[in-house]
Amino acid sequence: MSKIFHGPDRVPIPPRDAEQFTTVCSYCIVGCGYRVYKWPEGKEGGPKPAHNALQVDFTRQQGAQTGTWISPAMHSVVTDRDGTRSHVVLLPDADCVVNRGNHSIRGGTHGSVLYAPDRPTADRLSHPLMYRGSTQLPTTWQEAIDLSAHVIKAALDKWGPDTVAMKCFDHGGGGGGFENNWAVGKFFFTGIGTQMASIHNRPAYNSEVFAAGDAGIAALPSAYLDAELADTIVLIGANSYETQSIYFLEHMLPNLTGASLVKKQQLLPEEPHAAGRMIIVDPRRTSTVAIAESAAGTANVLHLQIRNGTDIVLMNALSRLIYEQGWQDQAFIDGRTKNFDAITTTNLAQDLEEATKLTGISNAQMMQAAEWIAKPKASNIRRRTLLLYEKGLIWGLKNYENVASVVDLALLTGNLGKAGTGCGRLGGHQEGYSRPNYPGKRPPVNVDEVAIKGGASKVFWVAGCNPVGGTLNAQQFRITLEKRTALVNQALDETAGGTMERRVAAILDAMEQGGLFLLVQDIYPIDTAKYAHVVFPAAQWGEMNLTSINGERRLRLYQKFMDPPGVAEPDWKIMAMMAQRIEHLYRAEGNRDMAVRFSGFDWQTDEEVFRAAAVGVAGAQEDYGETTYAMLKAIGTNGVQTPIKKIEDGKPIGTVRLYEESGRFTFIPAKWPGYPEPISKLMNDERYPFWVNNGRANHGWQTLYDDQRKPYVMGREPLPFVEIHPEDASKLELANGDLVELFNPHGSVTAMAVIVDSNRPGHVFMLFEHPKGWLNSLTTGYVDPDTTIPYYKGTKAGIRKIGALPEWQERLTFIPTNQA
Amino acid sequence: MSDISRRSFLKFGACVAGGLCASEALGEAAAPRETAARPALTTVLPYPRLKLAHATQLKTGVELRLTYPDKESPISLLKLGKKAINGIGPDADIVAYSRLCSHMGGSLNFRPSAGEFQCPLHYARFDAAKSGLIIIGQATDNLPQIQLHMDRKGDIYAVGILGLVYGRRANILG
Ligand code: FES
Repeated sequence: MSKIFHGPDRVPIPPRDAEQFTTVCSYCIVGCGYRVYKWPEGKEGGPKPAHNALQVDFTRQQGAQTGTWISPAMHSVVTDRDGTRSHVVLLPDADCVVNRGNHSIRGGTHGSVLYAPDRPTADRLSHPLMYRGSTQLPTTWQEAIDLSAHVIKAALDKWGPDTVAMKCFDHGGGGGGFENNWAVGKFFFTGIGTQMASIHNRPAYNSEVFAAGDAGIAALPSAYLDAELADTIVLIGANSYETQSIYFLEHMLPNLTGASLVKKQQLLPEEPHAAGRMIIVDPRRTSTVAIAESAAGTANVLHLQIRNGTDIVLMNALSRLIYEQGWQDQAFIDGRTKNFDAITTTNLAQDLEEATKLTGISNAQMMQAAEWIAKPKASNIRRRTLLLYEKGLIWGLKNYENVASVVDLALLTGNLGKAGTGCGRLGGHQEGYSRPNYPGKRPPVNVDEVAIKGGASKVFWVAGCNPVGGTLNAQQFRITLEKRTALVNQALDETAGGTMERRVAAILDAMEQGGLFLLVQDIYPIDTAKYAHVVFPAAQWGEMNLTSINGERRLRLYQKFMDPPGVAEPDWKIMAMMAQRIEHLYRAEGNRDMAVRFSGFDWQTDEEVFRAAAVGVAGAQEDYGETTYAMLKAIGTNGVQTPIKKIEDGKPIGTVRLYEESGRFTFIPAKWPGYPEPISKLMNDERYPFWVNNGRANHGWQTLYDDQRKPYVMGREPLPFVEIHPEDASKLELANGDLVELFNPHGSVTAMAVIVDSNRPGHVFMLFEHPKGWLNSLTTGYVDPDTTIPYYKGTKAGIRKIGALPEWQERLTFIPTNQA
Repeated sequence: MSDISRRSFLKFGACVAGGLCASEALGEAAAPRETAARPALTTVLPYPRLKLAHATQLKTGVELRLTYPDKESPISLLKLGKKAINGIGPDADIVAYSRLCSHMGGSLNFRPSAGEFQCPLHYARFDAAKSGLIIIGQATDNLPQIQLHMDRKGDIYAVGILGLVYGRRANILG
């Protein structure tokens, strides 16, 4: 057995008569198309083209990039509920315009995460669990729902809607889709009516781009084609090779190498073209920087190595430089925007010397960036610049102004609604958001602080996320959860075997004392579920039909191709079971008003929920109108880009990019506010000398909930890493692979040191979510008071060496990832 | 195990992947054996035993571009100059890998300074000292490693492959 994982040396290929489905990757926003083949175990396609479903000659070596190679990680043997065992292969679709047969390390290893009772996914949640006698034991849906429904109703009746808090997925793709999101929203907003709602990765119910919305710009206005047509692509706070890998590889890189020049000339024949340039704003020299430089040449890539928390200053300085040169798009400003005057005394008044001091970026570099963004091309033709931002900006110092400063730069330069331009998110997960309106106000309530730590809520329902590691200030969150749920454990222990009335009364008593009843709904027994009283097993991607859009609003049907494990159900069905039970309880006591709030959950199919959810997206970027599953099935992995304008001969007609014909936008003044108190306190304390930035890495997806079942991935990333500059490493006497502790007054965490000069000295970068070390134990409780979005990307800590881990030092690689 | 008995062992189809060949084949001049439990037999592919080179033909950091198990499967045979996982020879530094990127089959370049393979198509990189462990990239498995055996005379033989070579349903075509 090798010390390093290697998959098997052969893989079964689908026979001619294999069942075929289409789907889309369950992970990132890019949404690569996949073909699914399923056939009975014991059968296999033959190597000759006529004998396999791919019609490929497997007696020969295939050439590069054929898109017809099945890697062992794309295959599994699954067991359906009737006991039938089948091979399943998930092959990246060569005919999908998003990925053209390409795939990331994440999507390409989907075979490893299909549920199989004899593989590492065997620990999927298969049955509801209930707290009993200091542990969690399997139970029936009926018991789990019945107790929960009684508790929820009793709390609601006694203390009102805000007593029920939730933290739920709002994803597209694997974590949700329009179907599941609609059911969750209908339950909590129409049914319960709670303001104590929060979205999976943040403490409140908010947009991460309120500023863009206020400016009149949807989150995903452009098309991936625009990255092939742009003169300049600006990436702000994004490491796209690792986090939107196939968008970067298939649509951005061809522009940088000049491979998309033909397309530029074809589609935009009236103007001069060259290979594209790229500006990357990131405190870290990432793999994306290195690869862009390798593809385009260093002369065509500008890495602005910004200091943590100074995005607003940089964006405003660029706006000022552009405006001083007269490179603004005056026609656009005059014809399509309002409130320009408001930025003249803020954004455009940014002191340039101060900007260099704060951001660490020279004036010359800023000037070069300004030229690449807005200096007209030959014959005075405007440059086409695509501005794309993600978490580095969104989760920065102050969410609202961070986003506003980029939006203003785009409006100033007219980069919206035209080929090769745009200003939007790159995105993390896919989108499938459709819900009744959130009943709270703006800025929304901080649920972590008020409902959980503050005790305002007494029931907490967590679905499809893992806040004990993922939320800000996570260590304090865990401590609270442990204390509050323990009170309810005691009530349950004391009333074991008792009547429902007695048990609910005891739980309510515990709630009076600060107790919290916790429901967790997930596909795996995640860390948060450890504290739960009831655990609901959910179906995952591939186990139900769902629909979502990707980062260019491409809507597709993700077909069901296998059963969920045990008695697990789609999220929408779990919400419906609970709603129906609560409705029944209210009807039984003659409370018709409350019963009506929980009615309307009697859907029979995934598609019925999809159709019901259409009302929630009307007029939005994801508006899918009258689209049906049959229509989506017919257009496969290429789908259609929302909003849907009309249905023609049963075919939905969509929108390539937003705002080509209409849209009027508002400048939003943005001024750098300085560091907030919880951060400046750490900045002034010499015990915490290191700035701790954090983010994702190529190998894993989110909390690694799936990746923990991929031996290949876990062999690469058994522990979270922290990148430390060689100068700092020598002061701390660290070697590659040493275990270190990072600590500050908020918490502490361990990580494996990787010594690399990707960050400035004094700045480290840690993997953001790993079950063997949650970075968020170190983040402060600070949120932007205007949006309730945390400053996840900035905290400070001390670092202490613990010791060496020789077996991992031997089995891991420490060759820097940020080279090409 | 002598060469001859080794050969007949292979002939009877008992050599299996998942590392078994490697540890069996390490022989006299080999790195220490692993103590890990043997994995379930996953394959009975009839890997040929092919002579690749003599140890004296290898220069540190210079790859020999060869093929294995057939001429459509390019491999790189290397003396890394530092101990490598599954490396053979007196310094346990002789290794061989598929040259087809395990992402989508790009032709890998060996970079002696870093001791890595790099793919020009989508920038995957693999560590040559760590059994082809992915450094970064979109591949769905580590780089397939060729299992080697060196006899007493210093002849280096390829005897199997860890992992599936890109573009095949099985490492042995047919
Ligand atoms: S083929 Fe090597 S990185 Fe894609």
